[in-house]
Amino acid sequence: MLEFLVKLDRRLIYLAIGIAALVPLLFPFGLPVQPTPEVQGVYDKMDSLPPRSVLLLTMDFDPASAPELTPMAKAALRQAMRKNLRVIGLTLWQTGLGIMDGAFREIAEETKREEGKDWVVLPYVPGQAALVLKLGQDFKGAYPQDIRDKSTADMEVLKGVESLKNIDFQVEIAAGVPGIGSWLVYGSQKCNYPMAAGATSVGTPEWYPYLQSKQIVGLMGGMRGAAEYEQIIDTPLKSRLAQKGLDALTVTSCLIILLVVVGNITYFMSKKSGK
Amino acid sequence: MFFRRSLPLFVCFVFGVAMIVQAYVPTKMSQDLLEGLSNWVIIISSFAVGLGVVSLCRLHWGKMRRLQPGWGFSVVTYVGLIGTLVIGVLDGGDLSKARFGWIYWHLLFPLQATMFSILAFYVASAAFRAFRARSFEATLLLLAASVVILGRLPVMEKLWDGAGLTTKWIPLKDFVGWIMKQPNLAAQRAITFGLTLGVIATSLKIIFGIERAYLGSKE
Repeated sequence: MLEFLVKLDRRLIYLAIGIAALVPLLFPFGLPVQPTPEVQGVYDKMDSLPPRSVLLLTMDFDPASAPELTPMAKAALRQAMRKNLRVIGLTLWQTGLGIMDGAFREIAEETKREEGKDWVVLPYVPGQAALVLKLGQDFKGAYPQDIRDKSTADMEVLKGVESLKNIDFQVEIAAGVPGIGSWLVYGSQKCNYPMAAGATSVGTPEWYPYLQSKQIVGLMGGMRGAAEYEQIIDTPLKSRLAQKGLDALTVTSCLIILLVVVGNITYFMSKKSGK
Repeated sequence: MFFRRSLPLFVCFVFGVAMIVQAYVPTKMSQDLLEGLSNWVIIISSFAVGLGVVSLCRLHWGKMRRLQPGWGFSVVTYVGLIGTLVIGVLDGGDLSKARFGWIYWHLLFPLQATMFSILAFYVASAAFRAFRARSFEATLLLLAASVVILGRLPVMEKLWDGAGLTTKWIPLKDFVGWIMKQPNLAAQRAITFGLTLGVIATSLKIIFGIERAYLGSKE
């Protein structure tokens, strides 16, 4: 037995992980999650905004992180559009533009919101942190047109938005750099507006110091954070993408912990027997 | 020598000092300077994208010309790059158009998602072979990681509640939250301070011309 475990074929582990991820996606069991104060903070801040306030939703990620981060972006968008906020979408990641446009169009159709009046998606502009600095000075100068080449000058959704100083709240969802740090330093702190963040599971621990110092009002971490948000805003069951993903995550996480335990038992047994 | 070394060092020094001073001077002139320089960075970034494409093409052209091992991948790179560029220009870069949208949603999206998903398999294999309690520190890390991973799962919250630990002690989410908000936060803050001091030191070295690696290999 010990010999088998020591020489365990990694392809068997791959097969087990594949099955553990696939089965819950095919047969979801959907256990409810208990919302944490970090995620509740995002919801509460957005809920406190009066209608027609300006929300900046930034989605700084690419297709690689989309399965983990798109659900939380859609959940935040759903709450904003239900509340009749004016939503501006932009990304510092070139390959994130399609995901953002798709999410905006889907939720706008669901909540019957009009492009140009209630929401706008802005095109990709290079520059990263320099772009954020520029937005703090002249928003429409950086984005004279939206993603569909329509002029932003007289767009109702951008009425009164001359710079980042006119933003009422930002939700920044990011998978890396440029991301939360860029917006925090050059956007939110410099132009003095509240901000919340969403990150991948592995990236979340980095942002807890900023949560404690109240530089961010809330934090959503990975699939779990998105599932909590979906539950708080009472997302229709069929649209709960993160909840479905969380089932697969539950089984694969349990399997990984089991592998760690078995791996350690094997290690100590091998050490004891001198193999 | 002047254009290769002295001029870049001078430009770097002047603009580095100007940006430090600008951050502490809240006048209109200072704000105008910031806006002007931000515009320049955006313009230079756009050129950097073009430079990256040229560099990529040169690298893969060399591999194809010399028929180096794996030159077939370079052909794929060329076909992908030129194909996307041509269709992107024809469709005006509009992802809602059928052809360009197809490339994004049916090629780029699944390829990137697949590459990232493969990590799950490697993590599982590494967890079995490498995540060992070899020392006290490693054991501590292993236990904390296991508690946070399991504590985030709804099924564990159910089991925790079922065992009566929520009423006897604290909810599982609060226990996991404590790990994240106390030990994790302290470690993260220490790392951030260390990194920031390193960034300041490196920036000063670059501004004052002590660190010159950005000028090229000959420096």
